[in-house]
Amino acid sequence: MTQKGIFHRIKKDWVIYLMLFPAILYFVIFNVIPIIGMKLAFQDYRVIGDNIWVGLKHFKVLFSSPAFFDVLQNTIIISTMKIVFFFPIPIVLSLMINELRNGPFRKYVQSVIYLPHFLSWVVIAGVWISLLSPDAGGINVIRNFFQLPTLDYMTSKDHIRWVLVFSEMWRSAGWDSIIYLAAIMKISPSLYEAARIDGASTFQQMRFITFPQLLSTVVVVFILNLGFFLNAGFDQVFNMINDSTISKIDILDTYVYRIGILNGQYAYATAASLFKGVIGVILILSTHFISKRLTGKGVW
Amino acid sequence: MRRFVKRFTWSQFIICTVLLVLSFMVLVPILNLLAMSLSDPLQVHKLSGLDIIPKGFSFINYEVLFSNPLIVRSIFNSLFLTIVGTALNLFLTALAAYVLARTDFVGKRVVILFLIVIMVFEPGLIPEYLLVKDLGLLDTYASLILYKTINIFYLFILMRFFEEVPDGILEAARIDGAGHFRIFTRIMLPLSKPGLATLGLFYGVYHWNEYFRATIYLTDPNKWPLQVVIRQFVVERDNTTLLGAQNLLSYEQVQALDFGSLQAGTIIISIVPLLVFYPFILKYYAKGALEGGVKD
Repeated sequence: MTQKGIFHRIKKDWVIYLMLFPAILYFVIFNVIPIIGMKLAFQDYRVIGDNIWVGLKHFKVLFSSPAFFDVLQNTIIISTMKIVFFFPIPIVLSLMINELRNGPFRKYVQSVIYLPHFLSWVVIAGVWISLLSPDAGGINVIRNFFQLPTLDYMTSKDHIRWVLVFSEMWRSAGWDSIIYLAAIMKISPSLYEAARIDGASTFQQMRFITFPQLLSTVVVVFILNLGFFLNAGFDQVFNMINDSTISKIDILDTYVYRIGILNGQYAYATAASLFKGVIGVILILSTHFISKRLTGKGVW
Repeated sequence: MRRFVKRFTWSQFIICTVLLVLSFMVLVPILNLLAMSLSDPLQVHKLSGLDIIPKGFSFINYEVLFSNPLIVRSIFNSLFLTIVGTALNLFLTALAAYVLARTDFVGKRVVILFLIVIMVFEPGLIPEYLLVKDLGLLDTYASLILYKTINIFYLFILMRFFEEVPDGILEAARIDGAGHFRIFTRIMLPLSKPGLATLGLFYGVYHWNEYFRATIYLTDPNKWPLQVVIRQFVVERDNTTLLGAQNLLSYEQVQALDFGSLQAGTIIISIVPLLVFYPFILKYYAKGALEGGVKD
């Protein structure tokens, strides 16, 4: 196409550009400007006048600060615990739900276990604070029944990370099982028929047909989860953290919030946030391409 | 017909039992809060954390909550933010989705690439906060409505719905002389109701549950949405704000009130609208989330 042809087409399609304009304007203001704004990590913030370039000053302070490494360590520990103990649960759940006949019981189970996904972490924190309350909360009622002493989980340094893992399960295990359930539905019924004729039990069918067929979905979800490794669940921690447990569950995002928004150290917080962002982008891009290579499915 | 014979075996019995127990683990903590909020304040101390039947029965907690102007206002604030926010989300997302899915123009590939790039580079909290501050949007609802007005994941999902509308219909409209905007409003939107319903639920649930940006952007408690008020009561344990009810109750009755029950009541109030929409959520949201491959 000639130059002239391109201009002619742009002129002819002006309505299209007009329709696209609000979206582009929006993305430029609310995405591009804040992304460029990350340059604050290399500056000192000034309320009046231009910010001053200070190079790597904030990063030097960051990387020599023990607090930052504590927070990084917490983030890695919590993410790892969630991957090890939470990740397999939705897979097992989907295998179990798949064994249910279509009918009211299956509908009931699905409707109930998907529900917590739609509650905010504020509400879930409220539910769990009540459930774990030392004052006749459900879990302590059970503990007392087995002659165990009452335990205040929400303020216990030894237990709070497990509270994060289990409340994450409570919220997401059901919902996350949907993606596996959909993959199971696509498995050809003839495989099961053949297996049953050969006398395979329900468990054997699960073990030798469903699970191997499910594996590629498991790999995709696992790899994509790794891309968000440094997130570790901001909303969850933000609503469950307190002074007693801060040393155990303060993560990168809550740290950025505290030093940035609460203490007003904008530039320093942006440096911490940029560190997390750069590693995040590297993780997302590499997991995207690994997943594309292995299974043909990526983040986008 | 996935299975030609379904016998009720032992393994199935075990699976049903396990799933039933799991469903109780989800339901009992919520029903316990409901029971707590409906119990008689004088008897609620007898309610154990596993009970789902109220001890005695009283609406007093809800009377107190609904007589607190802060709570009543926050409910309306939340409804306003959810309705206006979702409407704007839907309109702008659909407009962009139509252009990207159903038209061909110079620079389309560049626009798509641009979207993917900004999807990967999530801006940090601080620059976003400073932008909102510089735009003079602190303490305004615009700051909440404009965050992720177009969610790129959702945009891609809606594009997939729009792609399903048959070419022939658009072609016929074009021959009849309809322009792009007319095709968008008269054909694309009416024929994509399931897609719009799906996205409306995505955005609606997001707005209803939003608390974080409201916490940092809104300093005036009168503007708070319900989630921020709940956070104040339940997470921050700020009981003084909860007692906005002296007019309704005599001093002794206020003394008898149980804060745990009042907190439970606020949680239940916030769950009710979700339950109203839950059948639609199950129908559209789950399907849309699968097709888009979105986790959240």
